[in-house]
Amino acid sequence: MEKKDSKFEEKVTELEKIIDELENGNIALEESIEKYAYAMQLAKECDEKLKKIEEKVNKIVSENGKIEDFDLEE
Amino acid sequence: MNDDKYLSVGALTKYLKYKFDTDEHLRNVFLKGEISNLKKHTTGHYYFSIKDENSKINAIMFSRNTKQLNFNPEDGMKVRIKGRISIYENTGSYQIYVEEMEEDGLGNLYILFEKLKKDLEKEGLFDPKNKKPIPKIPEKVGIVTAPTGAAIKDILSTIKRRFPICKTILFPALVQGENAKEDIANKIKLANNYDIDVLIIGRGGGSIEDLWPFNEECVARAIYESKIPIISAVGHEIDYTIADFVADLRAPTPTGAAEIAVPSMYDLEKLLGQYQIRASEAITKKINYSKLQLESITGSFVIKNPMVMFENKRQYLDSLIEKINRDIYYLLDNKKQYFKNIQKSYLFKNPKMIYENQKEKLKNDIIKLDLVNPLNILKRGYSLTYKEEKVITNIKNIKIGDTISIRLEKAKLEAKITSIKEEKHGKER
Repeated sequence: MEKKDSKFEEKVTELEKIIDELENGNIALEESIEKYAYAMQLAKECDEKLKKIEEKVNKIVSENGKIEDFDLEE
Repeated sequence: MNDDKYLSVGALTKYLKYKFDTDEHLRNVFLKGEISNLKKHTTGHYYFSIKDENSKINAIMFSRNTKQLNFNPEDGMKVRIKGRISIYENTGSYQIYVEEMEEDGLGNLYILFEKLKKDLEKEGLFDPKNKKPIPKIPEKVGIVTAPTGAAIKDILSTIKRRFPICKTILFPALVQGENAKEDIANKIKLANNYDIDVLIIGRGGGSIEDLWPFNEECVARAIYESKIPIISAVGHEIDYTIADFVADLRAPTPTGAAEIAVPSMYDLEKLLGQYQIRASEAITKKINYSKLQLESITGSFVIKNPMVMFENKRQYLDSLIEKINRDIYYLLDNKKQYFKNIQKSYLFKNPKMIYENQKEKLKNDIIKLDLVNPLNILKRGYSLTYKEEKVITNIKNIKIGDTISIRLEKAKLEAKITSIKEEKHGKER
């Protein structure tokens, strides 16, 4: 299982946090610009992940615990 | 009076019993209700009542019939009965003579449901504080349901429509029948071995018996013990199962569960867009504010016109000097005035007064001094006797023949001692 970067939800949550901080305006200018840059990067990453629509194949756990592809018979 | 027209109780009861016993409807009664006041007699007969919300009827089931029962009746049980109605002559009460009795499945399931619900609630399995939050954006959704049928289809198609980047793992389970409860419980436990963000458990609509596995305690406990948040989706919107109460979230249907489990990609993209706009607006605001702050600082008069600062100091200094000058004149004036007052005074104009005063005082002093002058005593006739310039006070210092001098007021005499006579009565020796 690849886990090269943090989960999508974590990124979105972090993004929300940064935006709240920026909107509150209680941080130093330099810091706020850094955070802004980071927020934009996070947003871009999330967006890319969303746009990169990979057709996920449904999986099924078989009796012996093995994960196999699962196709719904229509 | 004709006694014949009065019936005995026995006769009336017999008549009524006859009426009951010959009535077609009362000979073949199908009755459903709840058992209460059940007494199982040692003879094997059961005495009890059958009741519903409104009424109650006494019932008896003889041992030859009770032996045929395939369940163990208990108070509160819902049953379906076949029997006949007759009268027990001794008490004159009518009752149903039960020939056959079976459990009323639905009624009993309802009782079981209520009991389990109450027990589990008491144990805290439904407690909102034990509920896990459902992740907003899962990457992997687990599903415990039948691999065929409407439920899995609805779930997968909904996930694919809303959030196609999500992975799904199905844990196929029996969802009805005798073995379903164990299977569902086991699959929930199995799912917990996988890296899954949220688990949907459920099945499509069906009869209450079909949905029953989701009312079983072992399923409830498996849900409760799951580390993965669970969304339940059993049957239709109107169906509530124990699983729904224990689950972290109840969805009305399997489709509803999928909608709750994954966000819509469209909404998410919109949200991200909004975040970008908000971040940009926030940073623009911050920069503008900082600019404004800087402007208000550089725009301050001290920066623009530093001389103003000196002017202020200058002015202050001037005011100080002015004040000092004023004060010193005031002080001088005061002194001048004082001096003038002195000059104007009587004493200053008549200094002789002081002299006269002093003279008078001196005169007084002289008079006082005079009073104590020893020479003044001589004026009154006393005299002083000296020998060699010393006043003689003791005869031991003189002898006959000594020359002495005598001082009077205005003369001095020389004399010679011719005799010395001591006087013993004198004050001094």
